[in-house]
Amino acid sequence: MLNINKTAENGTLTIALEGRLDTVTAPALEQELRNSLEGVTELDFDLAKLEYISSAGLRVLLLAQKEMNVRGEMKVRRVNEIVSEIFEVTGFNDILTIE
Amino acid sequence: MTSAQNTEPAAIRLSGRIDSNNAAQTEQDIRAQLAAAGSPDRAVFDAAGLEYISSAGLRVILRIRKDVPELKIINVNPEVYEILDMTGFTEMMTVEKAYRTVSVEGCEVIGEGFNGKVYRIDKDNVVKTYKNAGALAGIMHEREVARLALILGVPTAISYDIVRVGDSYGSVFELLNATSFSKILATQPERYDFCVREYVKMLKKIHSITVPAGKLPRIKEHELRSVRRIKGLIPDVLWDKLFRLTEDVPESDHMVHGDFHTKNIVVADGEVLLIDMDTLSVGHPIFELVHMYNAYVGFSEYDPEIVLNFQGYGAATARRFWHDSLAAYLGTDDEAVIKSVEEKVRVISYANLLDWSSRHSAPSDPATAPTQALWKRELIALLERVDTLRFDPPCDVSAPAELTLPATVDNLPRVTDFISGRLSAAGVRPKFVTQLELAAEEIFVNIANYAYTPYTGNATVRVAFTGPAESPDSAEITFIDSGKPYDPLKKDDPDVTLSAGEREIGGLGIFMAKKVTDDIRYEYVSGQNILTLIKQVR
Repeated sequence: MLNINKTAENGTLTIALEGRLDTVTAPALEQELRNSLEGVTELDFDLAKLEYISSAGLRVLLLAQKEMNVRGEMKVRRVNEIVSEIFEVTGFNDILTIE
Repeated sequence: MTSAQNTEPAAIRLSGRIDSNNAAQTEQDIRAQLAAAGSPDRAVFDAAGLEYISSAGLRVILRIRKDVPELKIINVNPEVYEILDMTGFTEMMTVEKAYRTVSVEGCEVIGEGFNGKVYRIDKDNVVKTYKNAGALAGIMHEREVARLALILGVPTAISYDIVRVGDSYGSVFELLNATSFSKILATQPERYDFCVREYVKMLKKIHSITVPAGKLPRIKEHELRSVRRIKGLIPDVLWDKLFRLTEDVPESDHMVHGDFHTKNIVVADGEVLLIDMDTLSVGHPIFELVHMYNAYVGFSEYDPEIVLNFQGYGAATARRFWHDSLAAYLGTDDEAVIKSVEEKVRVISYANLLDWSSRHSAPSDPATAPTQALWKRELIALLERVDTLRFDPPCDVSAPAELTLPATVDNLPRVTDFISGRLSAAGVRPKFVTQLELAAEEIFVNIANYAYTPYTGNATVRVAFTGPAESPDSAEITFIDSGKPYDPLKKDDPDVTLSAGEREIGGLGIFMAKKVTDDIRYEYVSGQNILTLIKQVR
């Protein structure tokens, strides 16, 4: 299960993810991003409550990063240990802006 | 003409010429042999001596096949094979060409059991010969169960060839530098602890494996037959109790080897393997312990020389090895607990031994009479004080250790739940559970997306552990599918140093799986992709 909570403010869209971002749930996030990036110049991911991320989830983050490279910037905040480790082994900590 | 009781295939020899002159007589002979074998629904025609078969002979085979649906012709010489091929018989039934002949004259005998000898034919290969008449059926059965065991995760040797040895058959195994635990115990007593540890590890491993229904015989039925046959040897009231106690042992679909002693565990090229798979069954571990007790103690209880001749080490070592293995298997050093389980085991052991000796010797044979008297006395004494054969085996024999389901992405949560449930129950810490879930997701999704496309097929997921049950050393998660052969490990790792702009979308999955595990093994065996994730979890 994945809960996607969006907050938009002055061109900044914050997406807080809660639960598991895996092969089953990633398509929903991808769809959500497709529908919400119009006019967004900063995309912030709040991953404090993200328990799990697999390659399917990373794929969506990479898509978002590529998109935001064109539109403005993307930040990933409040990354917990398990997710942080996955970012590290996959080199995502160099791709993403992690705060 | 079927019999539910008799599942052993009958072996029937065909020889000379079968043509219109003798076809009717041949048919009569074959039918008589089938009837004598209990009218099985499987039969093997051994055509080693068959020189020619005419259409009259072929019609005999067709008529027999109506009554024996599973018919197989083996040892077919090239001329006869051509006839069978031309007439379409090779498509209707299994037809196997003649086997190559191997001579074992002057070869080193490296093992000997009740059913035959094992010879080393060259540096890397051994041939296991069988002296009984139904050798071929036995060889086929053993090869079939060894394959099944390998697929289910048991390290074993599978014969890669069947050969003729004299007027019987042998199966050829590749066993590099194989040494049995019996030999190690006899010649390198300093490795005793190693043997106990690896022996118990293997024992727990096979007992934790769930076997799909109908693939292997139920050992409890085998033991109940033994018990039935010794009716009359002990007082009726005690026999009734023996039967009731045996019947009360819980059913189980977990694997047991059935002849798990130190001659059947070998170290080959540094790897510990379980061999001699012909008795592989399913059932409660107590029946495994019964045959272990007999091998180490029961058979030689009256005459200690027996174990020395059989295993190569003395009765004291055998008894100590039995005790220490049982203690390690049960995970206790509480002698009262060990003794209580041992007494339950011995109840069936003596029933089994009495049955065995009454079938292999005359009732009043002076050589076996004292042994039989001892077993009978022990059995009677035990039946007077043992009131249940139930005990808690160290491996959970009821919970399924595997999950089979359609390989679709929708089923991913069921797979990850199953895996995390098994891992958490074994006390694996959350971080490792998540990492293994991650690797498992990549593998399962790969199967779901590619193995059967454009169709859907099943995948089986199995979770096994090595080391103590309450705190395992490592976890092994195995995925099996019958889809297209595909080794995901062959794929190149992605370049993880590239920037977002340069990075390709996807291709990370297997790389991540490799990163969060210690080893991933892939093999393609008998039409199945078998991929195993291995991770130290201590």
